[in-house]
Amino acid sequence: MENKIPPYLIKIADPQYDPASIKGAKLSFLDKTILNSSKAVKSIYLQAENAAKDNFIQKINPTIKVISLIYMAIVISIVSNLRTQLIITVIIFLLFIIARLKLYEVYRKILFLAFIFGFLVVLPAALNVITPGKIIFNIITFNKPSHFLIYNIPQNIGITIHGIEVVSLVFLRVLNSVSFALLVVYTTPFPSFIKSFKSIGVPDIFLMILSLAYKYIFILSRTIEETYFAFKSRLLGNIKNSSIRRLIGGRIFYIFKKSMIIYQDTYNAMVSRGYSGKVVLHSRNHFTVKDVIVLMVIVISGIVLILF
Amino acid sequence: MHIPDGYLSPQTYIPLFGVFAAAVTVAVKKVKKEVSARDIPYLGMAAAFSFIIMMFNLPIPGGTTGHAVGSAVIAILFGPWAAVVAVSVAIIIQALIFGDGGITAIGANCFNMAVCMPFAAYYLFRLFSYGSAKKSRVFFAAFIAGYLSLVLAAILTGIEFGIQPLIASSVDGKALYCPYDLKIAVPAMAIEHLLLFGIVEGVITAIIVKYFLKNEPGLIYAFRKGGKNENE
Repeated sequence: MENKIPPYLIKIADPQYDPASIKGAKLSFLDKTILNSSKAVKSIYLQAENAAKDNFIQKINPTIKVISLIYMAIVISIVSNLRTQLIITVIIFLLFIIARLKLYEVYRKILFLAFIFGFLVVLPAALNVITPGKIIFNIITFNKPSHFLIYNIPQNIGITIHGIEVVSLVFLRVLNSVSFALLVVYTTPFPSFIKSFKSIGVPDIFLMILSLAYKYIFILSRTIEETYFAFKSRLLGNIKNSSIRRLIGGRIFYIFKKSMIIYQDTYNAMVSRGYSGKVVLHSRNHFTVKDVIVLMVIVISGIVLILF
Repeated sequence: MHIPDGYLSPQTYIPLFGVFAAAVTVAVKKVKKEVSARDIPYLGMAAAFSFIIMMFNLPIPGGTTGHAVGSAVIAILFGPWAAVVAVSVAIIIQALIFGDGGITAIGANCFNMAVCMPFAAYYLFRLFSYGSAKKSRVFFAAFIAGYLSLVLAAILTGIEFGIQPLIASSVDGKALYCPYDLKIAVPAMAIEHLLLFGIVEGVITAIIVKYFLKNEPGLIYAFRKGGKNENE
């Protein structure tokens, strides 16, 4: 017997469906932000997935990796030589290859972050108004130098060699720091990070909040996405901004209330499993000879890079 | 607002990390004293909430983006010390997982957004609400607390950027870290937060606090600590 259900209701949704990817689809800024935030949070699972691989870098003790992360971040921040920063870029790229990570996906993220924070923000420093020096490319010439409020505006504004060096140095520093951090993050499961923090003396209560927050982020992100689209699907016609603010306020409060129920359940679940306010590690991260050698290599490499 | 790696010299990020570490040590002790074990998951939720708020980036002219922080609302609802712990956790997760904010800059970012901002917001709220639970006054006080505390955090970030050319330059005068001096960094950070992000932070803070006042006034820490209850 033929059913009378409209075809669009029985059509199975495409699991690859992504409204943001439809060509010509007009999504509001808020829609895009919700979709992108949710996508970014979901991508954390990618980290856990990659971290589970059985490679050389993945097998290094997480405590060693956390110590190396802090140490190398300091080394990268101290090195002020463009050539050495380029060498670090190449070394990190090789480490990504050894770790067998998805290079295209990882470097797309790295280059995006480095472009925004290490290039766009610092780009005006290439001009002689920020970094004085010999102009190699003139952009604009005024009749005479002038003064505006507290700023001196020279007669010629252009790009200087010193300016290019400053922009390149900051860009490479941001690129290297972000890529080394992501190398460690993508090869270390988050729970191992928590264990490592405990090993280096971070207080229990801080670790407890850190690990709970990490889990809540997934729950909250999903709740917000579902709540927002449920709310949006019920809107019709033009709605006053004040009404939207009131509705959004109500939704945020609802998310808080829902979170409170979740946290009460979480606490009860923790107590029933023996939680008494103290964080106890079930398995410590044991050091092997290989871990000690890796740490020594990193420490010596850092010193060499600073002195190079 | 999140300072990436490469913009601050060790002379800046090491002392700021020290101040942050001292503040978070005191905060952990205070939170242990003030918050029962039952409420620890609540702080985890607050940290996750701050994290989610910080993910809502607004595009601004010039190709970059900015966002609210959520420190003010957490300080008003949970207390400033709890906010220090919760927002620090959010910033650390962002730096480690998303590469948003540098590893070396964790101390500076936490000092600005997780230490100074919650305290400024909490005391501004107390000052402007004057212990009253009148809706309009609470809304105004929460807005001012969110708005001004974010502008303060932005100005602190601008100062940290702006002192770099003074304290860390090469022999030939080239900037080795953030190249913008105080005359550029402070106005740039202050203006965009005065005109845009401060308002976003203020509105978010005011809307959430207003709803708590209407539905669960007992949960607002700022009122539990010496406020009157004259809900109208």
